[in-house]
Amino acid sequence: MRIGTLKQSYIADAALFDSRTQKTWLALGAALLLLFPFMASDYWLYLACLVAINVASATGLNILTGYTGLVSLGQAAFMGLGAYTVAIMQTRLGTPFLLNLAAGGVVAMLGGLVVGIPSLRVKGLYLAIATIAASFITHFLFANLKLTGGTSGLSLPPAQLFGVALDTSFRLYWVILPVTLLMVLGAANLFRTRIGRAFIAIRDRDISAEVLGIPLLRYKLLSFGLSSFYAGVAGGLWAYFFRVVTPESFPLLMSIFFLAAIIVGGMGTILGGILGAVFMTMVPELLKLVFDLLPGGTEATVFLSPVRTVVFGLLIVGFLVFEPHGLAEVWRRIRRFFHLWPFKT
Amino acid sequence: MNSQPVSARRRTLLLAASAALAAPLAVHAQAAEDIVIGGSIPMTGVFAFAGIGINAGIADYVKIVNDAGGIKGRKLRYVPEDTGYKVDASVAAFKKITSQNKVNLYYGDSTGFAKTINPELDRSGQILMAGASFATELNDPAKYPNQFLVGPDYTEMFGILLKHIAKEKPGAKVAFVYSDSEFGRDPIEASEAMAKKLGLTVPVKLMTPPGSVDVSTEVIKLRRANPDYTIFHGYILAPIPEFVQQGKQMGMTSKWMGTFWTMDSSTVMKMGEAGDGFMGVMPYRYYYDSSAKSPMLEKIRQLRPEYQSTAYTQGFLTAMLFTEAAKRTLDAGKPLDGKNLKAALNTIKDFDTGGLIGVPITIKGNSIPVGRVYTADMKAQKMVPSSDWIKLD
Amino acid sequence: MMDWAYLFEIALNGVASGGLYALAALAFVLVYKATRVVNIAIGEMLMIGAYLFFAFAASFSLPIWLAVLGAVLGTGLLGAVVERTMIRPLLGEPPISVFMVTVGLASILVGLVEIVWTADQRRLPEFLPKTPVMIGDAFLAPKVAYGALVALVLIVLVLLVFRFWRGGVALRATASDQAAAYSMGINVPRVFSLAWVASAMIAAVAGIIVGSIGGISSSMGVFGLSVLVVVIVGGLDSVLGALVGGVFIGLVEALAGSYLGGEYKLLATFVVLVVVLMIRPYGLFGTHEIERL
Repeated sequence: MRIGTLKQSYIADAALFDSRTQKTWLALGAALLLLFPFMASDYWLYLACLVAINVASATGLNILTGYTGLVSLGQAAFMGLGAYTVAIMQTRLGTPFLLNLAAGGVVAMLGGLVVGIPSLRVKGLYLAIATIAASFITHFLFANLKLTGGTSGLSLPPAQLFGVALDTSFRLYWVILPVTLLMVLGAANLFRTRIGRAFIAIRDRDISAEVLGIPLLRYKLLSFGLSSFYAGVAGGLWAYFFRVVTPESFPLLMSIFFLAAIIVGGMGTILGGILGAVFMTMVPELLKLVFDLLPGGTEATVFLSPVRTVVFGLLIVGFLVFEPHGLAEVWRRIRRFFHLWPFKT
Repeated sequence: MNSQPVSARRRTLLLAASAALAAPLAVHAQAAEDIVIGGSIPMTGVFAFAGIGINAGIADYVKIVNDAGGIKGRKLRYVPEDTGYKVDASVAAFKKITSQNKVNLYYGDSTGFAKTINPELDRSGQILMAGASFATELNDPAKYPNQFLVGPDYTEMFGILLKHIAKEKPGAKVAFVYSDSEFGRDPIEASEAMAKKLGLTVPVKLMTPPGSVDVSTEVIKLRRANPDYTIFHGYILAPIPEFVQQGKQMGMTSKWMGTFWTMDSSTVMKMGEAGDGFMGVMPYRYYYDSSAKSPMLEKIRQLRPEYQSTAYTQGFLTAMLFTEAAKRTLDAGKPLDGKNLKAALNTIKDFDTGGLIGVPITIKGNSIPVGRVYTADMKAQKMVPSSDWIKLD
Repeated sequence: MMDWAYLFEIALNGVASGGLYALAALAFVLVYKATRVVNIAIGEMLMIGAYLFFAFAASFSLPIWLAVLGAVLGTGLLGAVVERTMIRPLLGEPPISVFMVTVGLASILVGLVEIVWTADQRRLPEFLPKTPVMIGDAFLAPKVAYGALVALVLIVLVLLVFRFWRGGVALRATASDQAAAYSMGINVPRVFSLAWVASAMIAAVAGIIVGSIGGISSSMGVFGLSVLVVVIVGGLDSVLGALVGGVFIGLVEALAGSYLGGEYKLLATFVVLVVVLMIRPYGLFGTHEIERL
């Protein structure tokens, strides 16, 4: 049972990780993440990298939708902007890896600012539909501009970092994971600042927030910009990971995937973004495992893909109906159980 | 408070959980002798009808080879994974199969996957790949040295159709109708140039957005162009029947043609009466073809009494070419890797496919530019050949 | 020199195909008007209607009229079930939650269709007349023409029902003020169910027509995205707006497709969407939402 976590200064009170047990668990987690690539097979490393990229993008979407309340179905489009920027810069300019990532983030951020402009006029679902429009317009641009290689897309050579070519999942892991961790930490810190609190105020009641002196357009645009920066960096990582970007790589379905991830994980919490992304990426793998164990053989695997689609939909509906605060809430309840044990919650 | 011992159920749950956690650390034991054919197969999703056929075709040929003793005593092993025709699922399947087996031959399910995985193939250098894609871009031995196409590429398919048209009606007007996707756009530019070279004109090129329902405005444009032939590409079935039906209703006299993935017998028969007279290029013989002696086709008909699609033939043929490349590599005493397998493949000259392709084939580069024009006979519910085997060089 | 005959022909076909959009938009508007729910799964409900028709007409070989009836009733049943299990529990939750539930529903429906019928494209049995409709010199594809006719008839019917039938009036009352409707003795939950059932049945009719034109497949639901644009342009809760918006978008798509090229169809539609959102966010005929603190 956790007792005696009292604070004596404001700084200590606002800390992200406050108790010693939390810090020990964190250290254990960090050790696990460091040891993981040496123990795991290529396939699991591939999954880990994919999960990390999804976590980064989901955290970005969480900033926009979970914390600021602006529903967006354009996350995949911003990822695409980031990915294409990285691809074009790497193939045409040969600029270093980190510069490309940053540039990808910036270009996506500019896209986000543009898409955010209607947020002054429209709210809620109308804004969501405007983001769908943005998704289609970016898809059109990707498929029809000479710069982006048209429908065949672009393929890029592996990233070079300090002379080492990042061409295996093992090597990419060491780059993708720190970047993701940095971004998640940044997001967590954001909500200890004035800007973060302004976002939350806008989500709760934006007219009241304006009355309190928060300039709406500026902060809404900031939210769009920030979340699309995250998406752009995630998209850049995606480009280096898959090494081919085509207009079909970032469909509307991907945006729906991320929205589902933060809903399942828990909107408005950083942990929710992480849990949701991990869960939604691993569920198809789990399904595959289950199907492999079934006695039907190849006859049963024909049903894997549609069952996956149905499970995806059921997860969204199920979590919304039964646990609207997502996995983060489930996690919080487990933690509370252990904090108060042996007393009942 | 609960002071009972840990229940049996909880224990088994813990054991199962730890077993699952230990899964990534387990190594798959495998007979080192086997030659492994890995496959990212679209057994579900929009390409499922093809995927199931391809899967059966490869599996059947592998069985035939193994029953005859394998390749120099080594058995073939086919390891497929379903991908739902999605590129990231394909890549994941590739990574999973190659991490658990020593793979030398691989079947890929799409153009997108073939392009994505190419740098990986070049880097590992261990694998020769073929697949369901006939994209023109892949037909480039310099850029895609470890891959090949099991038939003509889409531009070559157009070429075969255009050659046939030029012979039947010199100077004809040929309209192109294609889908707004990579699949659809692939051969259009090069084919337009080829048409001009053959003295044909292309009055209109219509692109339809994917998933478009109503094509009546496109049909109007097509009617105004008044072509003698219309070639559809980038579709499996829809919206071709709608085009043909509306076109015929509006009095168009154009002949209608399609490319490989439209030309499976069952697909064309689904067109109903609109499909009568529908033509297209097919590099293989159809399942029921008995126009010439085809020992391999006979064997397939014995193994599988019900109709097998051209996707089945494609898979079967891929496995056949894989086997031939592996055999030639081992005969030359070379190890099985991408370069040697491809070099062995390119030694295939005047090879008899047992009647699956009507003429002996030569694989000079990355494709097999051979095909025949077939026409649909709705009454007989069959595809009937209407040209000789055309070879492009 | 403009080819007026060509323009007329294109415009005519565009307007007629707009009728189909209007029909699907009508189904959407019904649900929004009564329950304030944005049903993004409208395209998938269309698909279920088409597949049920396929099952009854092709697999069970029922006569066409019976198959249509079966499909319509079956989809109506689906609408009722969805409303009861997924929408009712979320009453009072923020609209984004309900929106995401319909997104989940769309996935479930697509998956179910793929399990039962696989993802192959299929054609529906032909039952619409085959001779092209001629207006002057202009050809009009018969299926599209008859589809537009059915759409028009249904929309006029719904407009009349809303004006004169008690159920329609109850629907309008629930739409404008739920609390007042309750206090007037209107069975609001029953109205909700009614709206969803009616919407599903209209979606089924639209699905059958769309399916008989373009064939059916498990990805038919993308039709719903174009419908979304139509209802934004017309107004999320306006039946007349559905008609006008549908015709307008159909026209825009036809003109863009013919004069610019097939790839511009969707782009033009979405550009129109953005423009409308900036100028008249509530659509041409929609009611302006006034937010109170």
